[in-house]
Amino acid sequence: MMPADKLARMVLANATRSPKHFILSAFGIVIGIGAFVFFLAGTLGISDVLLGKVFPLDQVEVIAPHTSIAGKNLSQRMNADTVALIKSRKEVKEALPRMTLQFPATGFGKFEGQEIKFEVGGFTDGIPDVYVADDPKLVGVFKDWEANGDTSAIGPACVPNTPNNCPDKAWQYCDESDNMCHKRVPVIISQTVLELYNTQVADSHGLPHIGVMEQFIAERGRERMHFWMGLGSTMMAGSNVAIDPNKHREIGAILVGVSPKARRVGLTIPIGYVERWNRTFVGEKAAGEYSSIIVTLKDKDKLATFAQWLQDEPKLKLEDQLGSSFATAIFVIRLVLIGIAFTILLISVINIAHNFFMQVSERRREIGVLRAVGATRQDVLWIILGESAIIGVVSGLIGSLLAFLASLAVDWLLNNVVGKFPFKPDTLFRFEWWEFALALGLSIVFCVLGGLLPALRASRLEPATALAAN
Amino acid sequence: MAPVISLRDITKSYGTGAARTQVLRGVSLDIEPGELVALVGQSGSGKSTLLNIVGGLDKADGGDVTVLDHNYQRTPERELARLRNTSIGFVFQAFNLLDHLTCLDNVTLSAAFAAGGKDAPNRGREALDRVGLAQYAGRFTSELSGGQKQRVAIARALFARPKLLLCDEPTGNLDSATGAEVIEFFQKLNKDDGVTLVIVTHERRVSNIAQRVIAMRDGNIVEGAEAAAATPGADFGGPA
Repeated sequence: MMPADKLARMVLANATRSPKHFILSAFGIVIGIGAFVFFLAGTLGISDVLLGKVFPLDQVEVIAPHTSIAGKNLSQRMNADTVALIKSRKEVKEALPRMTLQFPATGFGKFEGQEIKFEVGGFTDGIPDVYVADDPKLVGVFKDWEANGDTSAIGPACVPNTPNNCPDKAWQYCDESDNMCHKRVPVIISQTVLELYNTQVADSHGLPHIGVMEQFIAERGRERMHFWMGLGSTMMAGSNVAIDPNKHREIGAILVGVSPKARRVGLTIPIGYVERWNRTFVGEKAAGEYSSIIVTLKDKDKLATFAQWLQDEPKLKLEDQLGSSFATAIFVIRLVLIGIAFTILLISVINIAHNFFMQVSERRREIGVLRAVGATRQDVLWIILGESAIIGVVSGLIGSLLAFLASLAVDWLLNNVVGKFPFKPDTLFRFEWWEFALALGLSIVFCVLGGLLPALRASRLEPATALAAN
Repeated sequence: MAPVISLRDITKSYGTGAARTQVLRGVSLDIEPGELVALVGQSGSGKSTLLNIVGGLDKADGGDVTVLDHNYQRTPERELARLRNTSIGFVFQAFNLLDHLTCLDNVTLSAAFAAGGKDAPNRGREALDRVGLAQYAGRFTSELSGGQKQRVAIARALFARPKLLLCDEPTGNLDSATGAEVIEFFQKLNKDDGVTLVIVTHERRVSNIAQRVIAMRDGNIVEGAEAAAATPGADFGGPA
């Protein structure tokens, strides 16, 4: 068999000696690989935006089907037993409850010099702090400072309704209920809320846009993220809930960050606060009722099994997952687009095979000479396959480069021509090293596939017959 | 000493059914080391087919082919290729040079199919020097005359220092003066280097220098199968 270095030199020299043949063979593969990389990076980028920001999807949420008769909510209630039952399922890795604030509350304060006021009751829920343990920016910040009656975070004494006279002005406020400094209640919001603020509120109210929340906090200081929660009060006219005015209480809160774990519209705080406040304002039962249960499955493929069990046994259901619908849609779109790219590649394979058949026919005498001076059938096979592989390498590189350039052009149009829209990303594409490696590999495989039959035919030529060719 | 070429009852036909043509009809022949043999006969007599079979470029349908102690029926394809690479040289009427390569690259082509060979360029230049074309090493063969092309082809055949040189109408495309030079070169090569030569030819000049002339007709050897049985200068039929 021919030594590898000599084979490589001969293949390179052969592949470059006929630019016309090279371009004819490479053209289709370049287009196919370009389309493949472009579509793959495009669908990955779009799914990052849709599933990463618009519809975060790494857990499913279990809710009770809504039932009401004569205006009375008769929906099934979920409590600690429901959580335990769900946890007992073998396909479930973790089940964490969410609890909604079940009484009126308002949010108010100053933001960028403007008085702001918004409804909190019904738009706020609580989650266990372990639910955000995967976000280093929230660990140690998003926590229930007074969990299980812990008073270590309370103090010293202070005078309420005066400028903050607590030692840690960023994190503490003076609570009028006991004239003591308390840790502010940490609040997180979703990317959806941030986008709604940026696109619907900021411009119309002359407020600043917030790009990256952490950067905004760092630039303006923690104290600019303060606001108050008025428990028991409401902005809504016609509220039927009568709260004992003596129970009204104003709590200091602080916005600590943006998280996909926060409720899509509203505020999210540690669940301990919601439990205690529900107990105080509504009663013991409300302190044990969960609005939903967040379930992490061991395997996403077990979702259908789990959903069926939910319906059959505890008569619960999964919250409508727009995210999963989008995930399915994007997956199907990706398959269709990659299918198109593969179709182009397959047509290119036929084109390459045709070109190489012509080449083999034109080079019969050359193949005969090679056999006469000592080339084996295998040598001839490797020479032709090597030439097709070279076309694959070059086509893969050019196709990937074209796809990348096309993505830059699309992103430029997105940023300079297309107007603002919610969740507008800086790029619609996600390029990973493996996409290019895959493209290069596919390009080589398809080209070699195209060269295979002509190479076999060339290797089977009898030298005497080949030399007799005109 | 064993013959360089030993053929026993070689048959070969092309085509199938009604179109089947029997080209060789049981040819037997021995050629001894150092012989210069002219293989003559009319077109279609089977001489080129016989030469291709001896060189391993074509396969016999039947019979035994033994060349340089290799029985072709029992020798794997890879070993046959190695034999062509190291011990058998070919010179063709149509030169069969690769136009996209320089003269030197054409001459050293066989080195691509063998391990080592770092000295291939030097040996290639030596081979070109032997045929008087050292100064053409870097030229492409398309720039050469017919006679020069054939000399490059001979240099390519000599590059591996073969024991056996098989020539198929080597002077067929050359003018008489250039043909004479080539014939003279073959004679010298045979005498000085002891290379065994089998030359398929129509030319009397070639048969004149041959130690043995083997005449073929209709796929059979009709004269010269035995050493010293033929007379140089015999009548060998017309040109193709």
